[in-house]
Amino acid sequence: MTSNPSALSQGLVRCHECGQVVQISLVNKPCPVCQSQLHARTPHSLQRTTAYLLSSYILYIPANVFPIMNVTQMGVTEEHTILGGILSLIESDMLPIALLVMIASILVPLLKLIGITLLLLNVQLRWQRNARLWTMLYRAICFVGRWSMLDIFMISILVALVDLGSVSKVIAGPAATAFAAVVVLTMFAAKSFDPRLIWDNQSTRKSRP
Amino acid sequence: MTATNALIACPECDTLLALKDVEIRHQALCPCCGVVLYQPRNKSIMHTLSLSMTGLILILPANFLPLLSIKLLGNSQEGTLWSGVTGLFQEGLWSVAVLVLLSSIVFPTIIIVLSFLLSVHLYRHRAHRHLALWMRCLQHLEEWAMLEVYMLGIIVACVKLADTTELKFGLGLYAFVSLLVINVLLTQNVDNHLFWQHITKLQANDLKS
Repeated sequence: MTSNPSALSQGLVRCHECGQVVQISLVNKPCPVCQSQLHARTPHSLQRTTAYLLSSYILYIPANVFPIMNVTQMGVTEEHTILGGILSLIESDMLPIALLVMIASILVPLLKLIGITLLLLNVQLRWQRNARLWTMLYRAICFVGRWSMLDIFMISILVALVDLGSVSKVIAGPAATAFAAVVVLTMFAAKSFDPRLIWDNQSTRKSRP
Repeated sequence: MTATNALIACPECDTLLALKDVEIRHQALCPCCGVVLYQPRNKSIMHTLSLSMTGLILILPANFLPLLSIKLLGNSQEGTLWSGVTGLFQEGLWSVAVLVLLSSIVFPTIIIVLSFLLSVHLYRHRAHRHLALWMRCLQHLEEWAMLEVYMLGIIVACVKLADTTELKFGLGLYAFVSLLVINVLLTQNVDNHLFWQHITKLQANDLKS
């Protein structure tokens, strides 16, 4: 794909904190610039990513099944799941906002779970094609991750605002914890995945020792 | 050491490249995977200094003045960033409360304080033994400060409340929006590559004297 060799094949290692390029003999020692420990690749990247990913798959189920908030209005309590909240937004003719919430709390978490699974498969099965596209997928997953927190923040505002006794009250439900955990765990999973592993497997890369 | 200083390695595909000067407002892209390697900013240090000073002033009003208030059947209730956290805490969702506290109050504050400390030291060419540590923390915290996501949460909450209650925007909301803009500008303006170069230089001078 390109004539430029990888740093590792030249006996060099990039400090993942400050970007300084140093000799490979310094691995596992502190970086001369920023004192953080040097590694050729993120240590145990695949194991850690898989662990975070499995936990988020498991928590994704309660996050969608249980109610994310209970709304009491004039003495009547209603339970809202993530999907239910979106449906009620559609019913009250707020399509753009419903779309926004759907992207942030359903599509983005799904894309992240499936995307990270595919990235792990890519590295494990040594897929040879489109390394550049896979790196772009990784970048998209990193960028998009934090936007799923939208639902959690909205609940936090509603809980603080709508607290008028029996007239109107919003209480956060058990799914809020599970959903927040899914967001954080998938962010950790994306962070512990090292995209350089995709490139290490490319046969075009192994040009020089 | 001297030989490797002229080299950089791509953080996402490990391609070894020669360091080249890039004009301001231009980007250096990795030829192999297309990631932005560095992106020099106009007067990065001075802009970071002035932005972080503005941010320091805005932190208190944005966190503790009411963002929104609602009125329903004669009852009224105010909501601040802080009361969103305490509300979740009182309902026993302490893990979600901690997450909201960190991502909407603690991390944005730390980012502003760290940017201030770093830019003051770099601006005045003063070395400090924690400069590298501050810079590392700043890089890691960037993606965990989620003010812009919180803003979307506020908008969605407003839409949900608008048809049943009377909504009023508080002074805190203006402070919050300003703080959000400052935070976004800060993350854009901190030129990681330049900052690390300066830190390296200052540390080297410090060792000599």
